[in-house]
Amino acid sequence: MLEKPSKWRAGLIGGAVIGVVAGIPGISLINCCCCAGVWLGGLLTMVLYKNEFTPEMQPLESSDALILGLVSGIAGAFISTLIGVLILAILGPVEAEFLRSIIEKALERLAEDGSLPSDAVEQLREQFETSLKDSASVSGILGNLFVTLIVYPIFSILGALLGYALFRPKNPPQQIPTQPA
Amino acid sequence: MQPSKHIQVVILLLVGLWSAGILLAPILSAAGSPIGSALYSIYAPVCHQLDHRSFHLAGEKLAVCVRCSAIYFSFFVSTLALVLLRRTSIRVLPSRPWILLALAPIAADAILSLLTGYESTTVSRVATGALFGLMMPWYVVPLVAEGVSQLRTRFTIKEGSSYARETQ
Repeated sequence: MLEKPSKWRAGLIGGAVIGVVAGIPGISLINCCCCAGVWLGGLLTMVLYKNEFTPEMQPLESSDALILGLVSGIAGAFISTLIGVLILAILGPVEAEFLRSIIEKALERLAEDGSLPSDAVEQLREQFETSLKDSASVSGILGNLFVTLIVYPIFSILGALLGYALFRPKNPPQQIPTQPA
Repeated sequence: MQPSKHIQVVILLLVGLWSAGILLAPILSAAGSPIGSALYSIYAPVCHQLDHRSFHLAGEKLAVCVRCSAIYFSFFVSTLALVLLRRTSIRVLPSRPWILLALAPIAADAILSLLTGYESTTVSRVATGALFGLMMPWYVVPLVAEGVSQLRTRFTIKEGSSYARETQ
């Protein structure tokens, strides 16, 4: 039987999708729903990898999904940080302005319908401005990279496993013997 | 304890830790501890954390929104059930349509509220999130356990064969 295809190509393409979705202002809002962009990136990685298989190759296994999710999640964390830094350096704080306009609207609505007292609204505004300043500093960027390096692989693995559950071979692969002869 | 059972317990502990962090963030924040705000930062990349879309504890919002809370807490409950029921084999995975059944409501609720005038409610967010969170571990947990076992076996065989080469 032929060896399985390399996981790097599918993993890096999936990671690039995760990174672009998480790094570009506006599109990154998808991740506000439980990291949906990262889940989808993991799932896409699995689909891409599955498409590289031929009938002569060893069957797809759940361990492949784990490795693919890990690779695409780590790549996604680095690429999203890189895109964030590039956007900040080239275009200025577009994302910050975009987020600021959304948060301002939400805060205004909360203040208008009386859901929150005005001092609480002001407190939220201050918290938001502090978080924006942090995201533009080196320590903030490194801190964000650290968190995403933990979180993205987890959600990407979940997406890849979901993809495996959807597209897995009908007959599960035979167990490999546990001890060498 | 079987290796796959062992892995399931580790997954349960990790999911429990993640879920506990969601509840600890507001409690510690209300107590004035800096760990509270650090916890909010950890959950920030995975959720919008909007106050008016979150449950509150000790006067502070949870670390994630209503929908995410429903997903993570039900994921934990379902994982606990899996461990207690000793479901370890991928041969007992629910059939594929169940995935779509769990995914379709949450996707519809989120996408429609994002793209149309439809306003999702707390009830719809909790219901769709809980359905998704309850269903996922039945696929994910046995697959992780199986995958880790496969990796372990693969590395054991590789180590064994390289040892055999060295001793020849």
